[in-house]
Amino acid sequence: MTTLSEKLHVVDVEAEAERAEDTSVAADPAPVLSVRDVRISDRAGDREIVHGVSFVLTPGRAVGIVGESGSGKTLTCRAALGILPAHFEVSAGSIEIDGRDIAGLSSAEWTALRGATISAVFQDPASYLNPSIRVGAQVAEVIRVKKGVKRGEARRQAIALLRAVHLRDPELVYSQYSFELSGGMLQRVLIAAAIAAGPRILIADEATTALDVTVQAEILDLLADLREETGLALVVVSHDLAVVAQLCDEVLVLRQGEVVEQGPTRQVLHDPQHEYTRLLIAEHEQYGLDKFLAPQLAPTPDSQEDA
Amino acid sequence: MVRRVLALPSGRIAVVVLVLVAFLAVLGPVLAPQNPLATSADTLTGTSGAHWLGTDYLGRDVLSRLLDGSRISVLGSLEVALTALVVGAVPGILSVYLGRAFEWITLRLADTLVALPFLLFAVAVIALLGNGISQAMLVTGVLVSPLFYRVSRAATLSVARSQYVEAAVIAGASVGWVVRRHVWLKVLPPIAVALAQTIGVGFVIVSSLTFLGIGVQPPAPTWGGLLASDLAYLSRRPWAPLAPAVLIMITVWACNLLADAIRDVSGEAGRALVNNRKARANRLDKAEPAPAGGA
Amino acid sequence: MSTESTAAPVEPVATTPSADPVSAVPSAEPVLQVDGLEVHYGLRRRRRSALGGVSLSVAPGETVGIIGETGSGKSTLARAVLGLVRASAGSIVVDGEDVGSYSPRQWRALRRKGVIQYVFQDPLRSLDPDLTIEASLAEPLLLQGVSREEAATRIRAFLSRVRLDEELLDRLPGELSGGQRQRVAVARALVTDPRLVILDEPVSALDSANRVQILQILKELRAEGVALVFISHDLGSVAGIADRIAVLYRGELVEVGAARDVIASPQHPYTRLLVGSAPTLHTAAADRAERAALRALLHA
Repeated sequence: MTTLSEKLHVVDVEAEAERAEDTSVAADPAPVLSVRDVRISDRAGDREIVHGVSFVLTPGRAVGIVGESGSGKTLTCRAALGILPAHFEVSAGSIEIDGRDIAGLSSAEWTALRGATISAVFQDPASYLNPSIRVGAQVAEVIRVKKGVKRGEARRQAIALLRAVHLRDPELVYSQYSFELSGGMLQRVLIAAAIAAGPRILIADEATTALDVTVQAEILDLLADLREETGLALVVVSHDLAVVAQLCDEVLVLRQGEVVEQGPTRQVLHDPQHEYTRLLIAEHEQYGLDKFLAPQLAPTPDSQEDA
Repeated sequence: MVRRVLALPSGRIAVVVLVLVAFLAVLGPVLAPQNPLATSADTLTGTSGAHWLGTDYLGRDVLSRLLDGSRISVLGSLEVALTALVVGAVPGILSVYLGRAFEWITLRLADTLVALPFLLFAVAVIALLGNGISQAMLVTGVLVSPLFYRVSRAATLSVARSQYVEAAVIAGASVGWVVRRHVWLKVLPPIAVALAQTIGVGFVIVSSLTFLGIGVQPPAPTWGGLLASDLAYLSRRPWAPLAPAVLIMITVWACNLLADAIRDVSGEAGRALVNNRKARANRLDKAEPAPAGGA
Repeated sequence: MSTESTAAPVEPVATTPSADPVSAVPSAEPVLQVDGLEVHYGLRRRRRSALGGVSLSVAPGETVGIIGETGSGKSTLARAVLGLVRASAGSIVVDGEDVGSYSPRQWRALRRKGVIQYVFQDPLRSLDPDLTIEASLAEPLLLQGVSREEAATRIRAFLSRVRLDEELLDRLPGELSGGQRQRVAVARALVTDPRLVILDEPVSALDSANRVQILQILKELRAEGVALVFISHDLGSVAGIADRIAVLYRGELVEVGAARDVIASPQHPYTRLLVGSAPTLHTAAADRAERAALRALLHA
């Protein structure tokens, strides 16, 4: 089997990738999220779990983190949200959200930051909603608390949000309970709640993993729309390289807490340096749809337009 | 299972205490230094050479009564627990497998038993069956059985709907096989906990019923009965309830300790616990010879 | 809306499954033959159809992928074939035996032969957490009446085929990694030398390395002449191993064909959406507008 890199002119790709990096830096110099050599340790076991992760996210851009379970990708996200599990801590490096170092934030400052500046959606949406309260009311609650508006106005805005995440009948969904909705609809409701206060960064941690493929595509499309329309910056975490490739400009490949590969998506896909990245790509080429579809689509992937 | 329980210090303590109690139950009447029913003029005396634990309000030797009463007390509470176990756990497990009708009837029966006023029912049945410790404990056991029914049913339900049971069925397992191989292990720990608890409750019930003149006839001693009779003379002998109370407490405590040990060693968590202990012991074993060699 | 030539709307009715499902298969008596299978849930008014006339056959050594979304009836199809759900119409023939009218006793006898096996989606839930790996693996053999000693030797002889270490045998499922657990679940299905194995999303929860390992094991199995039925919501996860793909949509097979044909030139709009939605290394196969058009077409 011929690999992609053999079919393409590697030099061209690299040149383009460099240009992409240049333009991104030039276009928006103020990053919304910058993670610098972050290391995370487990104080109980006295081990370092994440050995240095760095990336910079500017508005309207998307960074993807790929890795198997236990590679530290979720811990990295949780560190950025200030919700590391008990006895885990950021042992070195720094995280800046919208120019502010999060190290010295008080819990009141965190509350103000979360939702309004940085927000997140996770796997298993059902467990993040109260089954005995209508889902609409839970979205409206976020709006009331974060924006300080009255009930009626919060309801109006919540329905508008549910419409914005492409739910077909937002009024009906507003009055339903979480068990009446499918997994894809629940994830949309959670995305609506996550973007209710107009955050600048959205972290999607395995947000589409448990969903059907067609529904996964709908959610990924929704995230892409939000990014284009509102300039939302995305951090997409997945065990599937293809999911990340579809949405992100830059990819980090994490393995056992170590960033084994990092770079613009096209470069990582077409010229993987690390053996593990090659394995991820080979898996798709041998066992995935790429086995049948790759030859037709190779010339003009979408990501080229983004650069 | 037994070996794993004994691997825990708490399990060992519980077993030792319970063996001692069983020993008392078997040999207690023989060990009693005096006739437990013989009254004397020395009422409510303190400890002395003749009466190690003093005498009660009729001048009977408290130590002898305590030893003699242990058999009835232990047998009585065991009878309560075993009756409750058989009457409750068996239909509890079967209610999941024997179809809707059986399930409905047993559920309603359990509800009814819970709703019955305990003492009234006990008195009524004893009037019917005759006054005696066996009848009283049988009735008590039936009345406590809904606990076992609920516990075993809940445990069975969660197992019966699990995928590994379905996997066994796909491999050709019958209901009997599924219960023996998959259900029993999951139902055993909660039942063991309930059993230990019920034995404790049994001790208290034997004493309350004695106090009311139901079950055990007054002259025959029981631990609970001793506690009840001594309570009336607290002003004269304030420390008197101590001995029977301590006996009851230690026995109930040992039962609960055993229940905890069973729960801890069964299942995944228990295995991890035992493994951890083993690992730690290994480390200690390895660590110890080193300084000895250096010395 | 930019509908390209490939996105031209196709009437769902126009693409019924091919009349002869056995066509792409070497001539041999099928291990599984399902004809006009219908399954209903609920009673009277609340009765609703889960499967409406499904026909499919699987030959020895053949790997068939059944693709469908949640609620498409793919699990019901598997459960009907395994005798866990009663069919309201149609016939199921397993290894030459019409099992449609089997009594529970007959089912038990058939299952104990170990001809047909099933691998659950989640090995953590499908392995008894209180039984050691050895006990779990031995169960299907013991049910066949094999002695304990014999079962132990057969399990040990089998382990290398699923890349499992012998020292794992006295561990509990909770003490294994996800990939090891899934291999144990596969091993349990294989110890009885089945002729047909149905796998429900066997690799969806696994990461790349483990996924490749399981797929390799299954490929070896196929080479030995065992028929495999993969059930998945993800066309991508079966694309590399399936000979044929059957697409199940709302209880009906809307497309059956060779894997290459179904993926490269899908006919039914739902199949086109499936292919267009699956993430590939070059972003999704279809663009956003194309997917939106297909969704609108299917919901109309």
